[in-house]
Amino acid sequence: MEYKLTIGWLYSDLMSTYGDRGNIIVLQKRCEWRGTKAEVLNLNEGFDEKLLNNIDILFMGGAQDTQQQIVSKDFTQQKISILKKKIENGTPGLYICGAYQFLGKYYKDADGTKIKGLGIFDLYTEHPGEGKDRLIGNVVIKDTNNNIIVGFENHGGRTCLGDKLKPFAQVVKGFGNNGEDKKEGTIYKNSIGTYLHGPILPKNPEIADWLIEIALERKYKKKIKLEKLDDSLSQKAKKIMLRRIFN
Amino acid sequence: MTFFLIALGKLVLLISKTFNLGSGSTWPGHIALESDKNFIKKLLSRNKELKIILVAGTNGKTTTGKLIQTILEKNDRKVFQNEGGANLLNGLASSLINQSDLTGKINYDFAVFEVDENSLPIVLRNLNPQIIVLLNLFRDQLDRYGEVDIVADKWKKAINTVDKSTTLILNVDDPKIALLGKNIKNTKYFGVTGSNSDREHASDSTYCPKCGNRLYYKNTTFSHLGDWLCDKCGLKRPKLDLEKFQMYPLPGLYNKYNTNAAVLTAKILGISDNISIEALRNFKPAFGRQEIIEYENKKIQIFLSKNPASFNQSLETINDLKAKNLLIILNDRIPDGRDVSWIWDVDFENNLGNFKNIAVSGDRAYDMALRLKYADRNDVKAYEVLSDAIDESVDSTPNTEKLYILPTYSAMLDLRKILIGRKIL
Repeated sequence: MEYKLTIGWLYSDLMSTYGDRGNIIVLQKRCEWRGTKAEVLNLNEGFDEKLLNNIDILFMGGAQDTQQQIVSKDFTQQKISILKKKIENGTPGLYICGAYQFLGKYYKDADGTKIKGLGIFDLYTEHPGEGKDRLIGNVVIKDTNNNIIVGFENHGGRTCLGDKLKPFAQVVKGFGNNGEDKKEGTIYKNSIGTYLHGPILPKNPEIADWLIEIALERKYKKKIKLEKLDDSLSQKAKKIMLRRIFN
Repeated sequence: MTFFLIALGKLVLLISKTFNLGSGSTWPGHIALESDKNFIKKLLSRNKELKIILVAGTNGKTTTGKLIQTILEKNDRKVFQNEGGANLLNGLASSLINQSDLTGKINYDFAVFEVDENSLPIVLRNLNPQIIVLLNLFRDQLDRYGEVDIVADKWKKAINTVDKSTTLILNVDDPKIALLGKNIKNTKYFGVTGSNSDREHASDSTYCPKCGNRLYYKNTTFSHLGDWLCDKCGLKRPKLDLEKFQMYPLPGLYNKYNTNAAVLTAKILGISDNISIEALRNFKPAFGRQEIIEYENKKIQIFLSKNPASFNQSLETINDLKAKNLLIILNDRIPDGRDVSWIWDVDFENNLGNFKNIAVSGDRAYDMALRLKYADRNDVKAYEVLSDAIDESVDSTPNTEKLYILPTYSAMLDLRKILIGRKIL
């Protein structure tokens, strides 16, 4: 049986500043290499919210402030409620940096202005004010299965998770959500929010496979075991980074 | 005090050169500015005849600066530039110290300074240029510069303070750059006629810099450069003063922009096109910018490739030149940007088919190999040691063919060190 997945890329032209496209390329290629068709649907400004209903994996990246404002305006109540329902129902998704913040309750910027978020994740983000350092650098985190994940973070906002919201991983080296509580990102149902660029998926393909596996299982309603791929280059790239950070 | 700082600076320069400390292009200026923050102003007030041309932009500063210098020199002007890469305020100060005599006299007609994007505001607080050439703003080193919008905003504020006598030379095809001329009387515009209808993925300024609406492009050259207009507020690409010249000394669409910028600068200074053409005929590229080096009887050509826009342009240009042998060197040091995420914004897909041999090296060789694997090249050789990568790549390049090397900035310096024994000149 031939499988097919639809990857929905929210605001591919507005919310893609830090090589976010790499995550899409990795999801698509890892499907194709296993004989699964993967269609990428770009959901740009003014998209029809009904398109969201057919999406199997959601992705949204980071953006510059002006771009994020355009996205904010474009997110109508209908769009928000469909997206919320999908996330609550367990549609797998990956939300990076600006998108991760945007799914929270609010973002308070450097001069104190509060910008409303989508309110899907129980978290908020505050910028500590002009003159405070951005949290920038290579970062190493460990997820709940003890997988080591590497990436690069670059954010001014500090994110705090609500009491019941689980972090995606623990910070081993770097700043994470706020530079204080050692938490990085969040995992809610099957959605991952994280600050990790790099992009995150090429060097940490197990996360890509996790998203793909869940998407297939949900769509085809059966247990699915993904075929293993040769990830030796990912391992080498990751090892170089770990060697540098821990030596 | 100024004389003392010049003498001290020259001494530091001498020591630095003698002992090969490699910091001579910034140290003297750094010391002078630490001792007297008005050092540049004071030195220039003694040299009112010296005219200053600033060149800024993400890509093309060094080449454009060199093109301007070459044309001016053909017109019998005495010209100096800041030393390669030393484009912060301390680099400019060092360059002034280096070119002045001990009495503080600078015996040149023109200083052509390339200026780092972030440093343009502070440079403009320290000197009054006759001409400012602004080339483009692309996403580059987000960990260091921040996002394109932030840089554009800083420039806007800085430009609004320049003296009325200053002429701005702006790239009309870059919407944010074009808008900078809005309130400035002496503004001239250059651009290039495009033919593409699709935009590359890594396009930045595709929204109206005035009202934020999505821009419509009649055509594009590359990235977000093209003939744009906003159908909401009516803002559009201003009228061009130069879009085509008879002679382009270097291949690549991006070099048409650089050449047009330089020629328009020359025109403003009253130099005839014939002199420009004659000058450009013998133009030698700047270090690492299409520079050709003979090594082990093979020809190597270096295309500095430091961000998605410049990498895409390098790939397009070497494909036009029928390149078969490619070595990519990816570093992640401070001058390169520590975040290598940007390589995923380069359009490798469908642009690698003509290469027979592809090798990668640098601090992040495996990241690049991984990127190319996802662009369907499984046969890429990755080398952790740069000299191995060079030796093997040179070996596998036939005598009749050229080896094309695309390095990031610090990788380009390492490469030149191996090939010719020195990093810059």
